[in-house]
Amino acid sequence: MATFMQCKGLTKEFAGQRVLDGIDLKVNQGECVVLLGPSGCGKSTLLNVITGMLAADSGTLACRGRTLDDPANGIHVAMRERGFSMVFQDFSLWPHMTVSENVAFGLRMQRVNAPRRARRVQEVLDQVQMGAFRNRRPDQLSGGQQQRVAIARALAVQPDLMLLDEPLSALDARLREDLKHELARLLRETGLTAVYVTHDQAEAFTLADQVAVMNRGRIEQCGTPEVIYNEPRTQFVAEFLGASNLMPYRRNGSSIVIDDGVLDLPGNGALAAESGQCLVRREAICISSERCCSGDDLVELPATCEQTNFLGDRHEAFATLPNGRLIRGFADGAVHRGGAVHVRFPASAMRFLSD
Amino acid sequence: MLMVYLRARLPLLLCLLLLAVAAGYPLAVLFAQSVFPDILGGSLDGFGEAYRRILETPELPAMIRTSLAWAGAVTVVSWVFGIPCGYLLARTDLPGKLWARLSLLVPIMTPPYIAALSYILVMQEGGFADGLIGGLPEWLRLWFFSFWGVTLVMALASFGYVALAVEATLGSLPRRLEDAATLFGAGWVQRMRYVLLPLLLPAVFNSGLLVFLEALSNFGVPAVLGTRSNLPLLPAEIFYLITSWPADFALATSLSSLLCLFALVCMYGSRWLARLLGGGAFRPGEGALQPLGRWGKWAGWAFIGGLFLLSSVLPYVAMVLTSLVDSWAEAELTFTLRHYWALFEPGSRGLQALLTSLGLSLAAATICVLVGGYIAYVNVRSAGPLQRVLDGIALLPRVIPKIVMAVALILAWNAPWVPVDLYNTVWMLLLAYVVIYITDALNYANASLQRMGENLEHAASMLGAGRATVFTRIVLPRLRPALLAAWLTTFIVCMRELVASILLLPPGVDTTATFIFNQFEQGEIAIAMAMATVTILLSTVVLVVFQLRRRG
Repeated sequence: MATFMQCKGLTKEFAGQRVLDGIDLKVNQGECVVLLGPSGCGKSTLLNVITGMLAADSGTLACRGRTLDDPANGIHVAMRERGFSMVFQDFSLWPHMTVSENVAFGLRMQRVNAPRRARRVQEVLDQVQMGAFRNRRPDQLSGGQQQRVAIARALAVQPDLMLLDEPLSALDARLREDLKHELARLLRETGLTAVYVTHDQAEAFTLADQVAVMNRGRIEQCGTPEVIYNEPRTQFVAEFLGASNLMPYRRNGSSIVIDDGVLDLPGNGALAAESGQCLVRREAICISSERCCSGDDLVELPATCEQTNFLGDRHEAFATLPNGRLIRGFADGAVHRGGAVHVRFPASAMRFLSD
Repeated sequence: MLMVYLRARLPLLLCLLLLAVAAGYPLAVLFAQSVFPDILGGSLDGFGEAYRRILETPELPAMIRTSLAWAGAVTVVSWVFGIPCGYLLARTDLPGKLWARLSLLVPIMTPPYIAALSYILVMQEGGFADGLIGGLPEWLRLWFFSFWGVTLVMALASFGYVALAVEATLGSLPRRLEDAATLFGAGWVQRMRYVLLPLLLPAVFNSGLLVFLEALSNFGVPAVLGTRSNLPLLPAEIFYLITSWPADFALATSLSSLLCLFALVCMYGSRWLARLLGGGAFRPGEGALQPLGRWGKWAGWAFIGGLFLLSSVLPYVAMVLTSLVDSWAEAELTFTLRHYWALFEPGSRGLQALLTSLGLSLAAATICVLVGGYIAYVNVRSAGPLQRVLDGIALLPRVIPKIVMAVALILAWNAPWVPVDLYNTVWMLLLAYVVIYITDALNYANASLQRMGENLEHAASMLGAGRATVFTRIVLPRLRPALLAAWLTTFIVCMRELVASILLLPPGVDTTATFIFNQFEQGEIAIAMAMATVTILLSTVVLVVFQLRRRG
C-alpha cells in the first residue's frame, strides 16, 4: 500500500510545555488511522497540526509527496490550501445556513457550478440519510442529525484526507453506537483516507485499520486493533485498552518470579526482559469456588473473593491473593464475597512488558 | 376556596397591582385621552379628532417623517462608527484594548444633552472653534446646525452600544465556525461574507434598533440642538405642546401614542428579526487574534482615538473650560472658580438643585432596587396566566419612551378623580423616577435570578421559613451584587435625568438637569457648565468608589 501521509518527528510546545514530542506516523492510502489516547495526550493537537490550524515547531509533515509542514525550511501550507475536510466534535455547523447550504459550502468554495453542486449535495445527504432535512437549519436538528450533516459536509468535497475530531463524543450512548457503524460503512464505501481522534476504545476498534495509541505527546504503539490489544508493548497501552491485571516480575536465571514469589515460571526466562510487569487480561482470568482438574498450561492460585459485580451477561469478580494483590476476572459459577476461591488462567495469556 | 387561591397568589397580585397603578393606569389614561380629547372632563366628544388634526396639519406628518429619518440616520452613523470598533476590540491584536474600551464607555456615560450643549459652545458663532482655532468655516457651521450635525452628536453618544454589542457577539462566536470555513477553502473575504457577517447580523440589528429607539425618544438632543438647527423632532414637539401656553394635551397625547407605537414596533421587530436570523446560543470560543501590522495598529487607533476626541474630549474640554473661564468674549482667557462658588453658595438655586437631585436619586434608586428585585423574584418564580400578564406589564417601563411616560403620569395624577395632591410636588417626581427607571433593577435581578436554582429557597421553606423570610434571608442576600449594580446605574441615571424632571417638577424647584437646561437657555452658560461638571464628577466618583470597594 502506498504511503499517503507521513509525519516525522513532529513537535509542538505550548507555553514551554511539550504537547507533541516527536511524532512519527504513517497513513496509507485508503486507510483509517485512529489516534487513541486519554484527554491531554496530544491527539487533538496532532490533528490540528495535520489540518494546518496549528503550525508544528519542528519535524515534517508530507502528504502525497507534497511537504505541508517543514518549519526548518520555513514551509507551512495554509489550512485552506490543503484540501482536507474535517468533522468537529461540536459539529460546528454554520447556524445561519440550512443543511444543504452547509453541505454545499465547500463545493461553492471550489467554484462548482450550481446544478452539479445541488446534485452532489443531494447525493451525500442521501448517503447519510439526511436527504429529507435539507431545508432545515442546524438548530432544528437533533445532535445525531447535526453530526450526520457535518459528516455530509466533509464528504461532499471529496477530500484527499478526512479528519474526524471525536465526532461522536457529544452524542448519547445509543446514538454513538449507531453512528459508529455507519461511519465505518461510509469510510469503507468511499475508500477515503481518514484520521480519526477518539478516547473511546470501542470506537477505535470498530473504525480503525491502524490504531495509534498516544500518551504524553508520543505515540506509544501503532498497529492493527488486534495487535494493539493482544500484544501491547507498554504498560500504558496495556492498561488503557481493556481491563487488565498487572503484576511486577523479575527474572531469576532462567525462571521468572512474579509478584515476589506468588508464582514461579521455570524455563520462560528467555521470553522477557530483566524485570517489568506481567499482564493478564481480565477475560483470561476465571474466578471460581471449585478447583479445576489442572492442565499443563493452566495456572491456579488460591484467593479470597472481595466483590462481585453483575454486568448483565456475566459476573465480574475481584479476588485477593494471599500477598494482598487484587485480581479482577470473571466469575465461573456461584462465587460469594468473603468465600475462598481459585484464580485460574492459562499461562499463555501472560504478557511480559519491560519497565 | 377563593381565600386559598388568593393567599397563594398574593405576591403575584400585589406586584400586578403595583405595576398596574404605577405604569398601566397612566398609559391607559394617555391612550384614552388621545382618542377622546375631553375624557378627563367626563365627555366622550371629539372621538379621534386629535389624530385627524395630525393628518390635517401639514407640518406634523413631515415632522414625524423627519423624526424617523433622523433616528434612522443616527442608527446608520452609529453602525459606521461602532462596527469597526467592535471588530477591532474582539478580533485583532490592537494594543491598549482596555483604554479603547474605556473610551467607548465615556460617551455612553455622558448624558446626550450635556454633549449637545457642549457642542453648541464649540460650534456656535463666537464659540470655541472661532476663539481658539481661528474662524470656523461657515459651511461647516451650517452643516453642523442641520440634520447631519444633530445626527452626528446623537450618533457619537450611541455608537458605543453598537461597538460593545458587536464585540460581545464576536467574542462569543466560536472560532471553529470560521476555521471550518477556512478548511473548506474559504479566504478572508469569503469568511467575512458567508460566515462572520451573517452571524453578526442579529447583534447589529438589535443594537441598531436600540439606538434607533433611543434616538427617536431622546428628548435632550432634539430640545437642545434640534431647536437651534431648525429640526423639529417628535419628543421636543411633545414637550412644547405641553409646556407652552395654551397646553395642547390632545395633540401631545396622540403624538405620544404614535411614539409608543413606533417603540412597540421596534421591540417586536427586533424579536422577530432575532428569530428570523437564527443565531442561538454558542459556547464561547477562544481563538487567535488577527495581527494588524504596524500601519493597521496606527489606523485602528486613529479611528478609535478620533471618535474619542469627537465624542468625549471635545465636549468635555468645552464644558470644563466654559465653567472655568472668567470672561467669555476676550481674546485672552482668564480663569476663575467663581461659577463653582456661586453654585455652592448656601441657599443658592444651584445648591438646592443638587441636593434635590441627590435626595431624589438616592430614594429612587433604593425604591427601584427593592421593588424591582421583589417583582423580578415573583415573576421568575411563578407561572400561569397571571405571571404572563405580570411579565407583559413589567415590559412597559422598558419599552415606553420616557417622555411618554412622563406625559402619562401628568395626566393620570392630575385627573379630577385623584383624591391625593401628588401632582406639583416633589413626590410626583420620585414616583416618575421609579416608574421610568425601575427597568435596570428588573433586568439585573431577572438575569441574576434565572441563573440561581430554586433549591436554596426550597431548602429554607422546608425548614419552616415563611415567604417573607425566604425573600429577605435567602433571595435578597444572593441578589446583592446584581442589585448593587442596578442601584448604582439607577442612581447615576437619576442624577442627570432631564425629561421627567422638566415636565413634572413643581414651580420653583430644580434638579441638576433642569438647572443646567434652564440656565443655559437663559444665557448663564458658565454656571450651567459648572453644574454639568459637578454632576458628572459626582457620578464618576460614586462609580469609582463602588468599583474600588467591589475589588477590595
